Amino acid sequence: MKARNMGLILAALVLLAGLPWYGSDLLVQFGINALLLAVLAQGWNIIGGYTGYASFGNSVFYGLGSYGVAIAMVQWHLPFGVGMLFGVVLAVAFAVLLGVPVLRLRGHYFAIATLALAAVMTAIVSNLSLAGQNIGLVLPPLNNDKLFYELSLGLLTITTLTIWGLTRSRFGFGLIAIRENEEGAAVMGVNTTLYKVTAFTLSGIFSALAGGIHAYWITFLDPESAFDLTLNVKMIIMAVFGGPGTVFGPIVGAFSLSAISEFLSSEVTSIAGLFFGVVIVAAVVFMPRGLADMLRRGRDMGWGYFAENIRRHRL
Amino acid sequence: MDLLAQIVVNGILQGGLYAVMALGMALVWGVLNIVNLAHGAFIMLGGYLSWCLFTYLNIDPFLGLPLTFIFMFVLGYAVQRGLLNLVIRASMFNTLLITFGLQVVLTYLAQLVFSADFRTINPSYAGDSVAAGPVVLPEARLAVFCVAIVLTVGMWQFLLHTRLGRAIRATAQNLTAARLYGVEPRHLYAMTYGLGIALAGAAGTLYGIVSQIHPYIGASLTAKSFAISIIGGLDNPLGVLVGGLFLGIVEALTTVYIGQTYADVASFGILVLVLIVRPRGLLGRAK
Amino acid sequence: MSSKLAQFLSRLFMLLIAFVPQLAGAKDIVLGASVQMTGPVANTGRYYRDAYQFAIDKINAAGGVKIAGRSYKLVLKLYDNQSDVNLSVRQYTELITQDKADLLLGPFASNFALADSAVSEKYKVPMVQGGGASDQIFARNFQYIFGTLAPASNYFGSTISMLRLLKPAPQSVALLYADDAFDVSVADGTRALLKQAGLTIVMDERYSSNASDFNSLLSQLKTRNPDVVLVAGHETELLNFVRQAKSLAVAPKLYSFTVGVPSEDFRKALGKDADYAFGMTPWLPSAALSDRWFGDALQFAREYKARYGYDPDYHAASGVADVEALVEAMEAAGSADPQKVRDALAKVKFASLYGPIAFNAHGQIDLPQKVIQVQDGALIEVFGTTFVNQPKYPMPQWNRR
Repeated sequence: MKARNMGLILAALVLLAGLPWYGSDLLVQFGINALLLAVLAQGWNIIGGYTGYASFGNSVFYGLGSYGVAIAMVQWHLPFGVGMLFGVVLAVAFAVLLGVPVLRLRGHYFAIATLALAAVMTAIVSNLSLAGQNIGLVLPPLNNDKLFYELSLGLLTITTLTIWGLTRSRFGFGLIAIRENEEGAAVMGVNTTLYKVTAFTLSGIFSALAGGIHAYWITFLDPESAFDLTLNVKMIIMAVFGGPGTVFGPIVGAFSLSAISEFLSSEVTSIAGLFFGVVIVAAVVFMPRGLADMLRRGRDMGWGYFAENIRRHRL
Repeated sequence: MDLLAQIVVNGILQGGLYAVMALGMALVWGVLNIVNLAHGAFIMLGGYLSWCLFTYLNIDPFLGLPLTFIFMFVLGYAVQRGLLNLVIRASMFNTLLITFGLQVVLTYLAQLVFSADFRTINPSYAGDSVAAGPVVLPEARLAVFCVAIVLTVGMWQFLLHTRLGRAIRATAQNLTAARLYGVEPRHLYAMTYGLGIALAGAAGTLYGIVSQIHPYIGASLTAKSFAISIIGGLDNPLGVLVGGLFLGIVEALTTVYIGQTYADVASFGILVLVLIVRPRGLLGRAK
Repeated sequence: MSSKLAQFLSRLFMLLIAFVPQLAGAKDIVLGASVQMTGPVANTGRYYRDAYQFAIDKINAAGGVKIAGRSYKLVLKLYDNQSDVNLSVRQYTELITQDKADLLLGPFASNFALADSAVSEKYKVPMVQGGGASDQIFARNFQYIFGTLAPASNYFGSTISMLRLLKPAPQSVALLYADDAFDVSVADGTRALLKQAGLTIVMDERYSSNASDFNSLLSQLKTRNPDVVLVAGHETELLNFVRQAKSLAVAPKLYSFTVGVPSEDFRKALGKDADYAFGMTPWLPSAALSDRWFGDALQFAREYKARYGYDPDYHAASGVADVEALVEAMEAAGSADPQKVRDALAKVKFASLYGPIAFNAHGQIDLPQKVIQVQDGALIEVFGTTFVNQPKYPMPQWNRR
């Protein structure tokens, strides 16, 4: 990797890491939210962007991570770190046990299956008294946004490094091969089941860690918010908006969409949601291959870029 | 024993409503390969439409069904032709995302126009019931069930025997071949989607008679419709009916013999099982 | 690389929005609240939105808050949490950190109050809420949360006392409850009270919040045939319950609901079907409840209806009491400092249009519930500790009304 790019990335990282000291409280909070969403988008990127299996159920991992931390801290009085580990264990178990049967499905069916799993988990957890049933759990309050910010930034860095390492490894090439032509990849000797389940598990681990941090930060969770189904779509939109199957795309997508959403929420509160929906629709119609693609080719083609996208994809 | 009979009857009546809800989604999914995440939002709109007709024009919801049907058909046609058509050949999850965005927009618009207050369509006969031996049949639910059967059988016959129905099935199987036969795909796609949305609208009317309408019902109704469509099988309206009845009965039995809070565990659990074991559904044909 | 550029641009954007100017006037006292103005429970959330504003306007008109010889105006900073608990938690955080709210007013609903009070505790800013009654909110030893709704566990207390005095005496009771914080609290408390009263529980069922299909539960009720049915749930669920009970011809001798009955639109929505339903309220608009700013509860009710177009119920009165409690505490403490106000709130004691305000050691008020019943479309107070009016009991079958 070119030294200049390395330098830029390091500078950006230092800038971000220092934010809690020069930014306002509100900015730090926005930052934590955006960073965690970026982790989720990157997590999805592994299974959706690189492997081509559009999972609509990553919120399960997020929820398991959240509940892992909450149950460990509230019911068993264990420290945060142990809770995070517990969350990861739950996520890995889920990914392996349910990943194997579900990853045999393709396209829409896979998407619906993961969505259904998220719905089932919500329903199951709302019946478990260990998890506080439908009322949820309240964690011990910790007023230290700096810590949460740095944890989130650290997590995003690790996730992105993992993906970067992926793109240079045989494993990563295997995933891309699965995405492009699964039968062909199998014929070439790629153990598709092992690779898919590993990708799913990796995706799950990062999502669970993000969920754990979020739960401790927000101090509260219940089944509906922990397994929030709209979160699934949010992370996909962010990854797709920024550029799926790239190392930095989901980060760009997460940050920019979070900023837009935050701006809308504070300026036009009651119709913020409406605008967000319109943004999604417009993005899918005019720039279906994401921001990265738009910036790269839009410069050459100008406004024709959007018309070209429509022409190519409509009937 | 009486309780069991009543529970099964409750489940069947609910199942009929479920079938109508899922009919439109199964049609659009099976034929156009579009998973319409906005399906529940259209059910909601149909419900509001009937509510308006009932509240402001005093039109009985059952009598007003044809009106709702036509209006929602036109709406669906416009949405497909004007919006979904633009992304239909892009990758699969683009249609998922765009229909999700559509759902968000429709929900917010409904909330702006109608506020978040709950609405019911409450005609005067809504509380009456008929007794059939030890079992009590609420009249409104019975009527909803009958309409559901009519619509399902109607759809089935339509697809089998009418020219338009056959054209739709042909398009589903092989777009190029259908083109060779003179089918204009954009028009046909829009007709199919329009039909799907019209059915959603009708489901909304029926839903509004037995339950409450508010802007946020869309998401859970979409989820239910998925479950029914897949469990029953996408190819055949009769499959959707079977799926709906099956789910209705399972939920009723779960509520009584395990606990109401486990009803969703049962429905979505069965969905996952079906997807893993027999993705084509109970009545679907193997592809 | 273009994606790097994009990254930097978005970071720049983030930095820019950090420098948004502050707006509140230096002399005003800002009360912050995140209320459900849209979304599934907006129907009840609006009582709080209107009550808070009404109370603040009334207090400002009378000169505002008097601290250390100077008068301060109250300003309400209100956010719509769209009936989303997560959003309300973020909004309370924003109210404290960005909007620099001095003190907090609570949301509606126990699950919201449960989550939001974690924020007030984290930042040590007192919150007075009149929307959450669940005992769980006050069982955590939090110091900064106060509540003007009577404990959930005792909601059916006066109703059960009344049951023992009815003739023919009811023996069997069915208990149905939604699975959220408030209703679970109610059910826990009610079970104990029923046992004490010597009544048999023949059905004890928890159901999912927002369930719309009660047919199966009602069919079970028909088979078990209890004398009394107690339902703890949300307004829309109870509407569905009554309608479906009618369509399945289920009519116990008495049924009582935790919410709905006191509010005008519940009765309007059901029309004649609302008759015979029992409920409870800690508040009725009586001229006997005098108030420093509003005169008395009856005047308050009239002015509220004139201003907002709908009748207030105990949610609105509770909201007004929250604002008044904060003002009384500030004046007693002689300061708007959060710590001093919190200490003053713990000791506050005054009369308001909602009733006598005082908080126990856990921060919760203790007001008795009055039993009410819908009789021929009107809301009648039936029982407090003795019968105030005759109850219509037992309830006839639906086809004999």
